[in-house]
Amino acid sequence: MTNWLIWNSHWHSEGWVLSSNVKCFGVNLHFFSCLFLVAERPAPEETVTSSFGRFIQSVQPRHLSPTVLQRSKRMVLDSIGVGLLGSTTDVFELALQHCQHMYAPDDVSFVYGRQGMKLSPTLAAFVNGVAAHSMDFDDTWHPATHPSGAVLPALLAISDMLHNNSKPSGLDFLTAFNVGIEIQGRLMRFSNEAQNIPKRFHPPSVVGTLGSAAACARLLSLDRSQCSNALAIAASLAGAPMANAATQSKPLHIGNASRLGLEAALLASRGLEASPLVLDAVPGVAGFSAFYEDYAPHPISSLEEDEHSFLIETQDIAFKRFPAHLGMHWIADATAVVHKTLVGLKGGSISPNLVQDILLRVPLSKYINRPFPETEHQARHSFQFNACTALLDGEVTVQSFQPEALLRPELHALLSRVRLEHPHDNTANFNIMYGEVEVTLVSGDVLRGRCDTFYGHWRNPLSQESLQKKFRSNAGAVLSNERVERLIEAVEGLDHLDDCKPVLAQLQ
Amino acid sequence: MVLFSIPFNEITESFGAAVSCLSTSHLTDEVIRRSKRMILDTLGVGLLGTSTPVFNTVLQCSQQALENSKVWGRPGLSLPPQYAAFVNGVAVHSMDFDDTWHPATHPSGAVLPAVLALAETLPVKPSGLELLLAFNVGIEVQGRLLRFSKEAHNIPKRFHPPAVVGVMGSAAATAKLLGLPAAQSIAALAIACSSAGAPMANAATQTKPLHMGNAARGGLEATRLALLSLEGNTQILDLESGFGAFYPDYVPHPLAEVTPTSHYRWVLEDQNIAQKRFPAHLGMHWVADAAIEARAKFLDKCPNADLSQIKKITLRVPTSRYVDCPLPVSEHQARHSFQFNCCTALLDGEVTIETFSKSHMNRSALKEMLLKVQLENPQDNHSSFEKMYCEIAVETTQGEMFTARCNTFYGHWRKPLSHEDLVRKFRANASTVLSAEVVEGIIYTVDHLDTNQDCSMLWSYMHFNKHMMHRDECRSSQCNASLLNRSTFE
Repeated sequence: MTNWLIWNSHWHSEGWVLSSNVKCFGVNLHFFSCLFLVAERPAPEETVTSSFGRFIQSVQPRHLSPTVLQRSKRMVLDSIGVGLLGSTTDVFELALQHCQHMYAPDDVSFVYGRQGMKLSPTLAAFVNGVAAHSMDFDDTWHPATHPSGAVLPALLAISDMLHNNSKPSGLDFLTAFNVGIEIQGRLMRFSNEAQNIPKRFHPPSVVGTLGSAAACARLLSLDRSQCSNALAIAASLAGAPMANAATQSKPLHIGNASRLGLEAALLASRGLEASPLVLDAVPGVAGFSAFYEDYAPHPISSLEEDEHSFLIETQDIAFKRFPAHLGMHWIADATAVVHKTLVGLKGGSISPNLVQDILLRVPLSKYINRPFPETEHQARHSFQFNACTALLDGEVTVQSFQPEALLRPELHALLSRVRLEHPHDNTANFNIMYGEVEVTLVSGDVLRGRCDTFYGHWRNPLSQESLQKKFRSNAGAVLSNERVERLIEAVEGLDHLDDCKPVLAQLQ
Repeated sequence: MVLFSIPFNEITESFGAAVSCLSTSHLTDEVIRRSKRMILDTLGVGLLGTSTPVFNTVLQCSQQALENSKVWGRPGLSLPPQYAAFVNGVAVHSMDFDDTWHPATHPSGAVLPAVLALAETLPVKPSGLELLLAFNVGIEVQGRLLRFSKEAHNIPKRFHPPAVVGVMGSAAATAKLLGLPAAQSIAALAIACSSAGAPMANAATQTKPLHMGNAARGGLEATRLALLSLEGNTQILDLESGFGAFYPDYVPHPLAEVTPTSHYRWVLEDQNIAQKRFPAHLGMHWVADAAIEARAKFLDKCPNADLSQIKKITLRVPTSRYVDCPLPVSEHQARHSFQFNCCTALLDGEVTIETFSKSHMNRSALKEMLLKVQLENPQDNHSSFEKMYCEIAVETTQGEMFTARCNTFYGHWRKPLSHEDLVRKFRANASTVLSAEVVEGIIYTVDHLDTNQDCSMLWSYMHFNKHMMHRDECRSSQCNASLLNRSTFE
């Protein structure tokens, strides 16, 4: 970090114009403590945008209810786990090489699954975000997005960046995390279109970027005007089309959301300004509304006047049991029932020869209707593939998407027998959809299975044991058992930690 | 592991093919001439822009340890190519002084910084012609994409075009420079598409220049990721859920096939570019020209008139919410204000770089005049840079009326700047940062870009700053001086 100090003094001697902020800036200095002693400016006329800025700046740990604490800790645990597992993927390796070749300037932030390796905070947020979404194993919310993967990597990266004496407390960390989640939830409620499975823009790239910006702004204790600007700057970095879902590029949507949200917050902290009305609906000029056909924003009510209720309190999150698009979980659970029945009938393993026809009743959604997926990314987004796997194996797991599993001839045989139907009452909406499967055997028997709420859905959340089991399996792919257990413990007790070093230490 | 083949849809494939097959032999004289003008103008506005606060902000944000590509106007300072492209792209758009095309976007600022930053890092430097080719591929892709939507033909309301097509242009240009095969060019476009799009609301703010910087950076990053074999959707340009996500009316067409011997019809050939005379939104140029003419008529009739005799000013302009700003506070707002540019032109007889300085903006005479302006949006005044006009009616306290109308301002593609005036603009911009010899060196180099085998001095020249000493003084300045001597005086 001495590099920074030398550069700063060099600039001074050459007379370059610097803001006073820059004198402090440096990764192992008490940066953030000296930056933000800005007096609160009087609140301007309240716009939606400024209400957001105000909220981010003023929300405190005491606003976090026990439910919120508990749920968000679960999210943190799961997200770290999928990130660690994801660090074993090709796409992660690719993104990592890319960043290493690019640069590692303030090489201070850890990288999942790469002990001792460091990158700059923004790039660490990027690669760790890619890891989190690399297998589509991360959490999903309603309205639809993957909230934690966009927020957590950036917060961890910042925490690594801060001086040892000024690491955030566990509660501060959790507050920032929840701000990031909350902002995403609020933004999605501004549009009816957002309630359904997306067709145009991939939600993490839209709300995730702003969520990351909000969380980082909070952790960095920016003033409310800077918080608003962080959101507005992030809006200019938001938005990726759905077409890249089910491709290798999809994980970058989360990686970029995390990284760019962090960048937006850092730029805002340096004084960059953007539209003060970015979240408001201004006729003739699109702000955040650009990403939606129907947009009706509301301000977040002031924390002084009303009791604030975090959305996660009333709307829980879904954690996946296997790494595929959320829609696959309904069909997998429905088909697992059929598998069990079939095993009971015929005993032993399932042969495709027994099966004449497989009918799936699922919502209409083009990008998860793939009769013959070629890549693992496509397979994770294929009703057909997940149904046939569940029929053969009784379950879908991490291993189901390995190349050998994708190539199985018996799977291929079943795939050619699948038909889809889209009943009118099966809406493309993660809150109300269902999955139904009807397997007609050559013998003439018809076996049925239906799933309205899969295990892991917010209506039927994973137990703490199941969640930890998933974490152990994921994290254990790259960390020692000791570290895995310490992480579980540290996250469990996050709200009681004086600083979050115990969490960071296991990830270094 | 291909089990079943999925038929390729033609459009995206055609783009990939075109990007990889276009070669220097397809560059026509007109295209070379026009693109050299664009390059010169962009370099100039970029250098001027290195003196802005927003540029300094993003530069500070981007400081890295590994140094690869030169930052314009900052001797001794290099950044990894993406970040050099980013900060230099910000510089280009920092004052809204860069070129504008039809359908509306600012094409060069998204492409040139990326291409130069990348070229600098290549072990074998491209020739000037190869550089021009990559540049034109980047412009061409933007032009083609804009033609896939009718909405794109109007002044934008939702997404800021450089953030939509600019990043795609940057990806195409950098893919071309690296000589990527078609499939990887497609991947670069697909990856870039996931970085596209920034809402209009950030226009007229300090963040707007970042749209350009991010377009340049994002395209270059996309290409580098494609080089590392990252893949995206191979039909990204065909799909409504792909690039079509940014338009409500998206009708794509495949690009014509390109063979080594075929003639290629570049968009730039049929549709020239507008280069600005002063640093403000394009719409302001119609207003300024009309106001200057009205002012001339006024002073002609009443040579000693006092401009405070003006009672009312009516401006007839197209509807465009984000440039309707009656009382701008920041320079960014002022650059996007019909009213402000009108009053400045009436008061001073011109709009210049200085116009947007604090002192000029705070003049009481100007502020008083602003209160007298009224906008009208006639039905026949279309919100399109191809069709709009500006009509001004100045009413005096004596009851006299002076009107003027501008259909095509000087600098518009229908009335392009002369070579002399373009070079004059460049000199004025560049000499705020560079010494006269270096300024002339760049003019010479760009002028001879298509015949020059080694164009590396171009980014070396951009690396000077007459107000600053080089960081590693002795060694490098000797180096630079010898470059200077060799190129300028041979």
